[in-house]
Amino acid sequence: MKLSKPKSRHVPEMDLTPMIDIVFMLLIFIITVMRVSEANREPLDLPELVGEKEQSTTAVVVNIMLDGSIIVSNNQIDLGDLAIIISNEIIKMENDPDRVQVVIRGDTNGTCKTENDVIKQLAQLGISRVRLAVHVPE
Amino acid sequence: MKLTSKKMSRGADTELQMTSMIDVIFLLMIFFLVTASFTTSESELETATKVNEKTSSSQPSDLEPAIIEVKQGDGRFVYMLGSNQYNTHAELQAVLEQFPNKSDGAFVRASDAAPYGMAAAAIQAAKSSGFQVVSYVPLIEN
Repeated sequence: MKLSKPKSRHVPEMDLTPMIDIVFMLLIFIITVMRVSEANREPLDLPELVGEKEQSTTAVVVNIMLDGSIIVSNNQIDLGDLAIIISNEIIKMENDPDRVQVVIRGDTNGTCKTENDVIKQLAQLGISRVRLAVHVPE
Repeated sequence: MKLTSKKMSRGADTELQMTSMIDVIFLLMIFFLVTASFTTSESELETATKVNEKTSSSQPSDLEPAIIEVKQGDGRFVYMLGSNQYNTHAELQAVLEQFPNKSDGAFVRASDAAPYGMAAAAIQAAKSSGFQVVSYVPLIEN
């Protein structure tokens, strides 16, 4: 005697595969962005100071090494090249030098010579504000 | 005749496979813990720059009151505020904090031979003392 109607047993399952895919995609994205943002920073000893504000991401980063060499975007350049780079940035910012953010990353053990030369060069291009990168002590 | 409860059969087979998710979360956690310890924290000091060769010569009275110079004195570089010498930026900051009028701003002047770390520290001291505008002036020595 058949007492109950046979039911199709449907087991509800949550498919986690798309979520894992998305999490991995996000992870790869974050790693890539971190690498890109750190690509402009050369390894040098920054002054150990508390600083004033968070580091800006949309800026021209000028690395000044201990020997006085200037490195921008992993390329060693001279003051003439720097002037061209900054001029292009000013053109991108609709010829408004005040909108161009320049971050100077100088070695704390170096002298001010190259920094002074860079600042004079920037002043000739109309840039009268710079940001000095410092290393926040632990 | 109803022998089985409809209520009982529902929900009893519901399972959630959490293993993969926990694996991923642990991987992410380990990744962020490892990278956090190696990331150096950088900050910025925003400063105005004044490049004027004529006013860069030693004429403190023509400029704003707080003029800090990084100069060579007694065989090593020191912070000069007027005629007073300071060896550390903590001493300099303590003096700058006593300045009554901080709205006029401060000027930090450093020659080409001055250590960059000292120039940055002088700017930091002025900023930390409450000066609203701190200007950096490349000092041209004759």
